[in-house]
Amino acid sequence: MSLFLTILAAGVITYVTRASLIVVGDRVTLPGQVERALKYVAPAAFAAIAAPALLGGDQFAAFGDDIPRIVAVLLAGVVIAKTQSVPLSLFTGMSALWLILWVS
Amino acid sequence: MADFSFDRHAFWAGFRDIFPLAVPGIPFGFVLGVVIAESGLDRFVAWLSSPIVLAGASQLAAIELLAESAGAAVVLVTVAFINSRHLMYSAVLRPTFSNFPKWFKIIGPYLLIDQAFALAITQPDDTDDRARMWHYLGSGALVWLVWMASTGMGVVVGDIIEPEWQLGFAVPLLFGGLMIISITNRAGIVAAVVGAVVAVLGANLPQGSGVLLAIVLGVVAGGIADTRLGATPEAAP
Repeated sequence: MSLFLTILAAGVITYVTRASLIVVGDRVTLPGQVERALKYVAPAAFAAIAAPALLGGDQFAAFGDDIPRIVAVLLAGVVIAKTQSVPLSLFTGMSALWLILWVS
Repeated sequence: MADFSFDRHAFWAGFRDIFPLAVPGIPFGFVLGVVIAESGLDRFVAWLSSPIVLAGASQLAAIELLAESAGAAVVLVTVAFINSRHLMYSAVLRPTFSNFPKWFKIIGPYLLIDQAFALAITQPDDTDDRARMWHYLGSGALVWLVWMASTGMGVVVGDIIEPEWQLGFAVPLLFGGLMIISITNRAGIVAAVVGAVVAVLGANLPQGSGVLLAIVLGVVAGGIADTRLGATPEAAP
């Protein structure tokens, strides 16, 4: 499938998800179990995407090189846990990374 | 037939009210744009995911997977998973939208992004339907414009950004942050840990299917933990 068709299909899927219950109205309700499970999609999905990328694939080869990244992640984690602000934690993590790389 | 003609006041009120919610999306959109520019994919087509999909986290995940030449099926199922929370939004807003005109029920869901949802459910109860509808459309219009501009800017500026800046590192930081925000109880921690561990172990599975397996197992684990651990505080929107 070409890139455009894949993106188009992703758009259709997303739209259908958003429109489904608004359009079909009262005819369908979500089973309680499904509704409960939906709550865990976000933590599972975001963790699944973040974890391999954070380890960068070569995690055992050059642990020393990863120290700036580990510090950046920890700082960003603390900031987001305290403030719930994604941009602020992004800013903190990237600034920490740049600072450490610049100093060392 | 109730009057749903253009309510300028409500439209601009929505446009203004969502501004503080839309601003945090700017760095997110910018990072997505830079990732698109550096992905090796056709930038314009990849950027079209902004108007076509209009859902940041799923766009970012899709671009990352596509850049690693993952299969279309894996990309689409991942997008479906990440955006499945919109099913909840749809369910919550159904009674609010039930009397709105047909044309709205077609356009409205397209704009059902996290921020528009958060604003829509926090409107005062005594707001009349016409004002409510135009307020929603005004808020959606601003978020739409901000998203197109910030992702577009990232794509354009992406070339100037040197690899040494490691801006790509913002992606896992961003998803890690979203993960922490989305965890509202102990079952959420279980879902995240299972998702992370399976994704790392399955990193070499073909076509990026490790991510999918990780999401499925994470959700199942979260669901089981939810039942076992009992009482679940409401998830934040």
